[in-house]
Formats: sequence, structure tokens, C-alpha cells
Amino acid sequence: MGHNGVIKMDTKDIKVCVLRIEGTNCEDETNEAFRMLGASAETIHLKQLTSDVSPAMRRKLEDYHVLAFPGGFSAGDYVRAGAIFAARMKSALAGDLKKFVEAGKPVLGICNGFQILVELGLLPAMGQTMSEFPQSALYTNDSARFECRPTFLRHDNKGKCLFTSQVPFGKVLMIPSAHAEGNLKFPSDLQNKYLEKLEENDQIVFRYVNPNEDEISYPWCPNGSISQIAGICNEGGNVLGLMPHPERVMFRLQHPDWTRSKECPDGAGDGRAIFQSVLDNVKKSF
Amino acid sequence: MVNAEIRIELKKGVADPEGANTKKALELLGFKGILGVKTVKMFSIELDMGAEEALAACEEMSRKLLANPVIQSYKIELK
Amino acid sequence: MLDLKLAKKRDVPFSLYDIDIFSASDEELKEISSKLGLNLSLQEMKDVRDYFQSKNRMPTDVEIQSIAQAWSEHCCYKSSKVFLRENIFNTPTTGVLSKGDAGVMDFDDDYAYCLRIESHNHPSAIEPYGGAATGIGGIVRDVLAMGAQPIALVDPLFFGEPDLKEVPAGTKLPKYLIKGVVGGIRDYGNRIGIPTVAGGLFFDKSYTGNCLVNVGCIGFLRKDKLLNNSVKGVGDVLILVGGKTGRDGIHGVNFASAELHERSEDESRGAVQLGDPIMKEPTIHACLEANDKGLLSGIKDLGGGGLSCVVGEIALAGGCGAVVQVDAVHLKEEGLAPWEIWVSESQERMMLAAPKENVDAILDIFKMWDVPAVVIGEVVDEQKVTLYYKNEIIYELDLDFLTKGPEYCRPCAEAEDIPKTAVKKPQIPGDLGSVLLSLLSDPNIASKDWVIRQYDHEVRGNTVIKPLQGDVSHPGPADATVIRPLPGSCRGLAIAIGVNPWFTGLDPLKGGKSSIDETFRNIVAVGGRPHALTDCLNFGNPEKPEKLYEFREALKGIGDMAKALDLAVPSGNVSFYNETTYGSVLPAPTILGVGIVEDIRKCVTTDFKEEGNPVYLVGQTKDEMGASLLWRKFGGEGGDVPDSDPQELSANSDIVLKAISEGIVKSCHDCSDGGVAVAVSEMCIGGNVGFEGTLPENLPAEVSLFSESNSRFILEIDANQESKWKELAGSRAQKIGELKGDKITFGKEISISVESARDAWSKPLWDIMG
Repeated sequence: MGHNGVIKMDTKDIKVCVLRIEGTNCEDETNEAFRMLGASAETIHLKQLTSDVSPAMRRKLEDYHVLAFPGGFSAGDYVRAGAIFAARMKSALAGDLKKFVEAGKPVLGICNGFQILVELGLLPAMGQTMSEFPQSALYTNDSARFECRPTFLRHDNKGKCLFTSQVPFGKVLMIPSAHAEGNLKFPSDLQNKYLEKLEENDQIVFRYVNPNEDEISYPWCPNGSISQIAGICNEGGNVLGLMPHPERVMFRLQHPDWTRSKECPDGAGDGRAIFQSVLDNVKKSF
Repeated sequence: MVNAEIRIELKKGVADPEGANTKKALELLGFKGILGVKTVKMFSIELDMGAEEALAACEEMSRKLLANPVIQSYKIELK
Repeated sequence: MLDLKLAKKRDVPFSLYDIDIFSASDEELKEISSKLGLNLSLQEMKDVRDYFQSKNRMPTDVEIQSIAQAWSEHCCYKSSKVFLRENIFNTPTTGVLSKGDAGVMDFDDDYAYCLRIESHNHPSAIEPYGGAATGIGGIVRDVLAMGAQPIALVDPLFFGEPDLKEVPAGTKLPKYLIKGVVGGIRDYGNRIGIPTVAGGLFFDKSYTGNCLVNVGCIGFLRKDKLLNNSVKGVGDVLILVGGKTGRDGIHGVNFASAELHERSEDESRGAVQLGDPIMKEPTIHACLEANDKGLLSGIKDLGGGGLSCVVGEIALAGGCGAVVQVDAVHLKEEGLAPWEIWVSESQERMMLAAPKENVDAILDIFKMWDVPAVVIGEVVDEQKVTLYYKNEIIYELDLDFLTKGPEYCRPCAEAEDIPKTAVKKPQIPGDLGSVLLSLLSDPNIASKDWVIRQYDHEVRGNTVIKPLQGDVSHPGPADATVIRPLPGSCRGLAIAIGVNPWFTGLDPLKGGKSSIDETFRNIVAVGGRPHALTDCLNFGNPEKPEKLYEFREALKGIGDMAKALDLAVPSGNVSFYNETTYGSVLPAPTILGVGIVEDIRKCVTTDFKEEGNPVYLVGQTKDEMGASLLWRKFGGEGGDVPDSDPQELSANSDIVLKAISEGIVKSCHDCSDGGVAVAVSEMCIGGNVGFEGTLPENLPAEVSLFSESNSRFILEIDANQESKWKELAGSRAQKIGELKGDKITFGKEISISVESARDAWSKPLWDIMG
């Protein structure tokens, strides 16, 4: 893809695929997040990419510019969160998916979507596009509870990630979390190596921080994630997975404390920059 | 026909919050003397094939879906 | 084999019995009712006999089971209907579009919302996790049956004291029940992706053996997609969709219509259903898609009584009957007898009625979502339901007979030992600061964030006023939450509950009125105009005159208030028999209210905002301390329960709403449990700012501080607009202090730090629940 900064397409020509199966449940607001910024987002069922549906319903992954895996409990999170969605996708679409990522097209996984990307081997995918087996796990929160709460994310990416190009380095965003399995883990013997590698590759995108930023503790890191990581990208910077939900804070009045703020309630919420960044990058690249 | 049991366990050193919570709940119900509770997932799978083939299939299933090698190990037993 | 000598096995290759009730003596009729698990009285059995005598044939087991379902308290409201007619069915119809499985109300020109609340008490007392989860499943189906997308869940819960260590036989520890119920709501609600935005936790020893689990749901729909739970006419077929039918949940309604006892657990586990949210989630999508494409005549949910209730009701609602092939029903397991299929309450099922020519298109949609769907019957002209099983007629009942059900006007009388007359004053410690701290740490007041944080209250992205409010590091409580149902629009729905079991126990009439008053002010406090109410009436055994009296009086209070406030009550639910051998529960007339917010950008929250702003109390504080938290905590008994005057409530609310819409109000909290002192403290906790207040001279300090008089609000007014406020409020408001420093002070009586108030308020539930 060419990074020459020339705008090549209209936002409305950007086709976003919001992909779901049974139990995915954040597809409407994820779709709306792209749509309100002018993109053409379509929510489709995995079956429309893979199998027996009528020709009118059939879709091709390559026809889209952006692929988004929304939050939810796909297939009930049975077996493991995201595992069934990932296995179904991998068995039928591994090649298409790899091609999509290798073309530099953006892939976003939010919450359950992040879990799916990890199970697919698309994240962290060090040294390759898609690992055959998962290289990490999003495991049960230390609290063993589902945690629905505001979380603060510090942007730690130095410029690789297509989804955060409009977020200044070090900026803290309020993006709420709602999950029971967001505890990022690497194989215990490889943990330090992986962390170093992620830093080196500029794959760490967001870390949880306390509102006052001086220390980090539960509940501000709601899950006990290694190195307080909330979101990572692949080496190419075009696949992002994060546990918190940027699509839930597109407007200021979706923030939990907006009535205390002097900012306009219908102004931008902290999540909007993520969607805006990726759409602007797509406009320049395809 | 073969019946395979695939047992998915957490790898050593991986904390088990579900087990810990289940222990708490059991104690709430009045059970005493519980030293520890571990969660283990068991899949019982009926297969229409020979033992050797079944073992290979189960291996494949475990790797493709049932276990995440980062946190889980699996054991396959044919009955 | 059926162990009943009056049951004659019919010569068919499946289980079917003709029940010889003609030759049965009274004793034998009772035996039939008991052995078949019918829970029908002798008189009801005789009515059944008369019907079949007129038909000149014996009933089959399928028929008699079906009648028992239809005539259960749960399904036909036989003990409550006469009172509901007097008080609720005649409430205003302002804004009502439909009164079906859920009440449907006007939202704007194009859209409507719907609301309903019901109880899932007995199943939850036996198996808290599954019981509560299927409660959510059921209420969501009620909303879906109107053609609406569910958008919010609301769950008021009532348990025994949470730190109780010993319980009577056959009862479970409250702590265990709380974990189970909250876990069930969490795992079901979160999985289907509907935010749980409001609720309540009430603790009283009377709920130890019989917890109350009330589940409410709000839905949203385009008006032109509104469905009534009805067939359109001959030419329609009936399509059963969703989960398969199994033995789970057989006789659930009969179980709900009897008292719990020591052996309930073993006897009734079969009546507790299992839920499958991952069947429900795509079922919601598929039903809404079929409706959106205009393929349906009507939808109805399979709840209590299963097929036996839904088929008759959906057909009769359209003035028709139905013929059904029972063997077409898709089953979980082989070997179910026809009667079991007919009354099973297996979860996640919906009944669709649709014109024959749309069937293929509908089945395609369900196939796309991998949700089972099968045509099981068709609509006929005659108001009669006929069932076939393997070509044998096994059932033929007139709908008029089946659905009319008995109706009772049972005796009803005030108990003689009502403690109202015998007032015992509480022993209140002299240091009111420590009294305030002890009230803040009472589990009924203390922060519920242990629960709230386990529910996804933000999924769908439309929760603009959340259930915890204030500084994100230490939020305080909410009066109501606000949902923005249409992205991009400023119009919102304020959602709140109100109930005071202690008021209702001591004075059911005032308790009923207070529950409306509280709901109303909770909605007003965020800036919503109350618009519709729905009730879940949890009471004891209606066959006991003093329990029915409580019900009647509370209902009168609710009805009178709704009428005076011109509020519709388009749906509701009655739950009787909330008793164990250890006694009856405190009556709980739970109200779920919805208000319209004209502009969500103007909403206010409970947390104080800025030092220097004055704080006002709207409404009158009275010396009516009966059943107040203060009295309960310090040994008071009897006394006057706060009354409610709808004119006062309206006038006070109008001022608050006007001031909010003009941007004068910085924060607002309704004044209820624990009175002014608790409300102000909660506002300080969320705002992290102190309050310096005075006490009026005309009342004893403990009354001004802790009275729970109705119709009151506490407002923080923008200091720059105080004169405008004074003009607006006139004599209805009095200044009680201003925001300052980091202490909460009331005259010389109370001076505590905000920090200590926060500790007292935020820790108790975590300490107990872990």
C-alpha cells in the first residue's frame, strides 16, 4: 500500500465488513461507529463469507476495505472466548484472511473480537501474518468476575498502528471495558522474550493506567493483563485487537462522567479517534 | 465406534479464578475441609472410526479448537 | 405408567390416558388433581367434570393438564383479577398503543417503546442461577413478542440479610442466593447483549426463605412494526421457533402458584428451566428480521404453560381457533408423552403466526440464523383448539372454556395484630454523625457496585446516564438511568424503579402510593417526564385474608396514584404465594417506570459538582417515621408511614423539571431511604466535595435528617442562577446548605468527613460478598 498521503477515495466508498455469528452482540454499535463517520459499513454473518447461503446473500471478503470483529459472546464463549468463531473462520477462510491482512487492509477486533484475533493467530503474529496456533491467550480476569467499568488507556504506539495515527503518543483515553476474559498471557517460558519483541516491533498500542496515571492497580487494570496491556497490533500495524470498547464512546455523553465535564455533550467521545484514524488511512491508501 | 475423552487442564502456574470461586461457593453451601478446586474441562466425543484414526482426529481437534497451548494442556483417552 | 386407577390407557402406540372423572368421588377428584400435579381445587375439578359431561366424553390427560395450566393463578390471575379490574385496568390510557405481553407506549411520531416486569421468585429460590437467567429470558420474549428490540433490562432483587450465617432447613444462605441470582442475570443478560441498566437490592429477614427476583425489560420499535400477540385469521399457520422442547420446566406455573416448603427443592427441581442465551440471541434477530420484512401476523412468547397456553391465546386473540400436530414439535429427547410436550416450559421458544404464503421466506430466515423453526398447525374459524398426535385426536377444547378460567373474590381483612397502633420509639444514639455512618453502611443503602459492575450496562452503546454517577474514581448512586434509543437523536428514555417493602408491610395503602411516588421522583431527578409504569406485585398467600388485604390496599394506592398523575400502567404481573413455612415475605409492589427525556444533553446526575453552589430541598419533611430506615435500625416499631399527595408530587416535580431544562440544576437526587442526610451524603460521595448545612428549627433533628417523607428532591443550584431558581421554586424549596470543603455537616448535629462517608457506603457489600 502506498503511504504518499494523497487522498484516493471518498469515505463513503470505504466498505467495512462487520462480521458476526450467533452471540456476537456489539455489531450494531460497531457498525454505527463506522457509519456515523461516513463509511459504508455492512454487518454480515460469517456464513455469508463461507457457505450455503443464497447467491444474493453471498459476500466476498476481498470486496471490503476494513474487517471488524465486534464484541459479544460469540457461540456463547463456550470452549474458550472467541475460540469457536476463530476455528470456524480459520477452517474456511484462512487463505482469504491472510491475503486480506497481507494487502495491508485494516482488521479490528474489539473485546470478543480481540479474543478471536488471538485465537486466529492474527495477533500478536510475531514474524508472520498468522500463526498456526495461538501465541497468546486472553484468560479469565484475576478477579474472576465480569468487569464493566470505565478504563483509561495510554496510547503507547509510536506510529505503526493504523488505528491510532490521530491519537498523540502518551495520550490517555477513557474507553470503557466490559469483559470477564481480558487477561493477556504469553507462554510462561517466553513471556519476557515476547514482551521485548512486542516493544521492539512497536506492537503495543494501549496500556491500562490509573486516572491519575501515577501507578496502576485493580480495578484500573481490570483483568491483571501482563504489562497492563489493553491492546496490541500486528507487525504491520494494520491488525488491532483491544479489550475496551471504543465504539461505546463516540460521543462525549457516552462517557460516565460527562455531566461533570465542561465539554459539549454531543462532541466527540474518546473512542472516535480510533475509527477516524483508520478511515483516513484507508482513504489515503487504496 | 470409539468414545474419546479429551481432558483440558490449565497448565501449571496458570491461576484458576473459576476454581477458586467455586471453592468459595462450595464453602458457602457448608462443605468443609476443601483444600482446593480445579476446573477441568472434559469433552466426550463419539467417533465412527478406528482407534488410531480417532486418536489422530482428537489430537487435531485439541490443537485446532479445544485447547489454547498458551494456557491449556490436553489429554486424550480412548474408551 | 400412570399410577392412577381412574386413568384408562388408550389403545394407541404412545402415552395417552382418558381420565374417568365422571365416576370419581370428591376424594378421588382431589387425588387426580394431586397425582397429576394439577394444583386444581375440588370446585375447579367439578367445573372440569361439568364441562366434559356436557361434551359426553372423558377428558384426556393432555386436556386436563392443559386446563390446569390455564387455570393456575400464574396464568389466569384468578385471585387478583377482581382487584386489578378495580384499580389497574382502569388507569389512564394516555400514550398507550397496546397492552399485550408487554405494554407499548408512544415515543415519538415514528417510534414506540414497550415495558414489562415480572417475577421469577420460586425458581430462583430453588436454583438461583438458572432461575434468574430464565427470568431474563422470559421477560425478553415478552418484549420481542410485540415486535420490539429489547434495549434494557432492570432487575430489582430481594434477599435475606446478606451476612446471615445460619438458615432454616430447605433454605439457602442469602449470600449464596445473591451470587447465584446475580450470576444468572449477568451471564444471560451479558450474553444476549442487552444492557442491565437499573435495579435494586433489598435485604430483609422476611426474604430469607423466599427471595424475590423481579425482572423487567424495555423494548423499542417502529410503530408500523408493532405486532399484537394475535393471529390475523384463517389462512395463518403457527410456526414454533427457537429452542427444542424437553421435560424441563414442566408444571412451572403450578409451582409458582403454591407456597414454598422444606421439600420444594427436591419436588420442584423439574419445574426449574434451563436457559440458553446463545439460542435466544439469534432467535431475537430472526424474529425481528421476519417482522421487519412484514412476513408475520403476530408473535407470542412461550412462557408459563408452554404450548398449552400460547396456542389458545394467540388464536383466540384473533377471534379464531387452531388445529395443531403435536408430533411436529421438535424435541430435545425421545419419549415425551403428548401432555408433556403440550405443557413443557422449555426455554427460548416463540410462536409465530404468519400467512401460509410467507412460510418459506420465514423458514429461510431462521435457517440463516441456525435457529430451528417448524410449522406445527394452522388457524381455523371455530374458537376451538384441536390436537393431533400421530393422526389421533388427543384434545379438543373450546377456547371460551379453557381461557376463561375461574375468578375469585376471596375474603380479605386487615390483620388484627397490625403494629401500627402500638408505637415503639427507637433508641437512637446521641451522636447523629455515627448514626448517619451506620445508615450509609446498611446493606439497603450501601453501594451496589459489586453487582452493577458485573452487568454489562453499556452494551448497545446507548446508556447515556449510567447506574453509577459522579467522579469515575468514586462514583455515587443513580436515581434513574437514561437510554438513547435512536443513535443521533436527543430524545431519551429514563428508567427507574421504586418500591418500599417496609412501608408496604406496615401500611399497604401508603406503601403502594409511596412506590409510585419514588419511581416518579427517580425519573424526574435525571430530567425525565414520567410516562408509563408497570408493576410486579409480590405478595403472600391470597387464600389468607390478611395477605389479600395487603394486596388490595397496595393495589389501591398504586391505582389511585396512577390515575391522579395521569400515568398509564399498560402491563404488569402478580406473584402470590411468596411464603414459606416460616412466614410471609414483606409485600413488595415493585414499580418499573419509564420517562421521556426531551433532550438528553440536559440530563443531570446525583453527584455534587462545584464548591460554592447552594443546595436546596424541594418538598416538605414531615414527622412520619414509621418503617423508616432509622427506626428499623434502632428498634422502632409501628408509627406513621409517609403518605403521598399526588398534587404535591406533581407540583414539586414540575419545578425540578423546569429548572433542569433551563440548566439551573447542577445535580439532583431524590430523597428516600435514610432521608436528607443519606441523600446529601451520597451526593457528596459521588462529587467528592463537602456540604455545610443547617437544620430547620421546627422539627426534631432526627426527623429533618432521616425522615423519609415522599415527594422530595435535593438540588444543587448553579450559584450564578440562584435568583432565577428562587423565583421559580417559590415556597416549595428551602435552602439547606452549600457545597464547601471536605466534610458533611448539618448544624451542630453532624460533622463527618466525606472520606468516612464514602468508606461506610462503598465497602459493606464487598466485605460481605468478596
